[in-house]
Amino acid sequence: MRTKPFAFLTVSAGVLLLGLWIAQPPASRANGEKDDEKGGHAHVPAPLEYADAHMPLSLWTDPATIARGKEIYTVRCAVCHGDTGDGKGPAGVALPLKPADFRDKAGVAEMRDNYWIWRVSEGGQVEPFKGKGSAMPPWKGELSVRDRWAVMAYQHTFSGHQGPHVPWEHPGSVVVGRDIYAMACVACHGAEGRGDGSVGPTLSPRRAPQPRDFTTGEFKFRSTPSGQLPTTADLFRTITEGVRSSGGAMTIGLRGHRIMPSFRHMPEEQRLEVIEYVKSLNRAFWERQEIKTVNVPAPPPVTAERLARGKQLYADAGCLACHGERGRGDGPSAPTLKDSRELPIAATDLTKPDRFKNGARPEDIYRTLVTGLAGTPMPSYADSLEPDQAWDLAYYTLSLSNNRRRTAETMR
Amino acid sequence: MRSILVMVLTAALGLWTAFADEAPISGTVKAVDAGAQTLTLEVASKGKTREVVVHMKPGAKVVRFARATEPGKTGFIEQELPLSAVKVGWIVSATTKHEGNREVAEQVKIVVER
Repeated sequence: MRTKPFAFLTVSAGVLLLGLWIAQPPASRANGEKDDEKGGHAHVPAPLEYADAHMPLSLWTDPATIARGKEIYTVRCAVCHGDTGDGKGPAGVALPLKPADFRDKAGVAEMRDNYWIWRVSEGGQVEPFKGKGSAMPPWKGELSVRDRWAVMAYQHTFSGHQGPHVPWEHPGSVVVGRDIYAMACVACHGAEGRGDGSVGPTLSPRRAPQPRDFTTGEFKFRSTPSGQLPTTADLFRTITEGVRSSGGAMTIGLRGHRIMPSFRHMPEEQRLEVIEYVKSLNRAFWERQEIKTVNVPAPPPVTAERLARGKQLYADAGCLACHGERGRGDGPSAPTLKDSRELPIAATDLTKPDRFKNGARPEDIYRTLVTGLAGTPMPSYADSLEPDQAWDLAYYTLSLSNNRRRTAETMR
Repeated sequence: MRSILVMVLTAALGLWTAFADEAPISGTVKAVDAGAQTLTLEVASKGKTREVVVHMKPGAKVVRFARATEPGKTGFIEQELPLSAVKVGWIVSATTKHEGNREVAEQVKIVVER
């Protein structure tokens, strides 16, 4: 009789210990989770400064690049990541945050190329990796971009994947963005991003603007020269600010007369995820060699002379043909304007800057003048205006506002 | 029967305690005290940075890893170095045991020298 309760208690205690062991690994007093075999490598979106750092497609499989990558990897990376890329190099085995295992096909497939170069460049010096105790050194000071790409190309070979490491080869790398897109964007932009969602056309029936077709290279709101794709930061600005419209019944419900709502409330990480998905709909984002952005210099002070010059430029540059003499969007050409889809498009009413689609700060107007708005009749004046002239015109444009008090604050 | 159960329980408890008391740690060397046989590391955990003093157990080693130079050999070999050779700014790792409110290491591995 006495043995039974003792045995019961003993077995219970053993089971409890076993349960504790399985359910709750011993917490580290230091900085690691020693059972975190994958090292907690959160594949978070790369920050904006790395978001456009897409590796040229040909390098992933270029033998010379891979050979160069092997040279560097053998000397600098293998001590932690292992000669076979298994993350079990002699210096890496005791690290709290385990070095990445490049043989892990699923794990590698989740990584985007801009995430990869961000990690190689900044190492464990940035969050969330710093907070996890990553010992990865930053290599941006010691390896050129080309060499970092070479290392990535060699590391990629461990996964066994043949071909470039791009989202259309690894849809899992943009699955988070795809899900957000399905919830927040598909109604207007369509399931395949062709701008043919069911709701979009009802916002502006048979007229421009229509939802963007992401599969073409035509993006209105850019900091890049005319005819080029936007930067990720441009897309981020658009998704954050939304797109203002000239108003109308269908936009009343969208705060501030927006034809596309602002997603400012969406966590930044999610906005970056959905942008990565949107970019994946257009391979040209990976095929462009170099990204140039227009330089927007610091706004100069507003003077009466500047406004007078701006007024003259407004006439000389032909702005009044569309926007009208007083900027009300009622110029002689306005009724005939069409966008690239042959849809009628209104000339912007410059007296209502709070509805400017590309922003109403002086620097926004400067940028619009220099880049133009792709797909609309608004051309780029990059070749015809000097920077100072662009400022003259930008300030004159703002001076046309019917809300002069607010505009004066903007220009101050 | 009872003694077997007691032994199993004791062994389980001992094992759990032993493993629970070991923890991996890595960080940047902030200070080296060869006389006191300690390393002060700046470590980050759960978004916070703090300093941890790692005490070297008597006979503990500091090792770096170098490529084998002997013909036909690949992989890495361990090279032992004195604690005094460790420089501030290097990144090291160790598995420490908690002994009397001290983090004690039997081996410290050099991860990055710079």
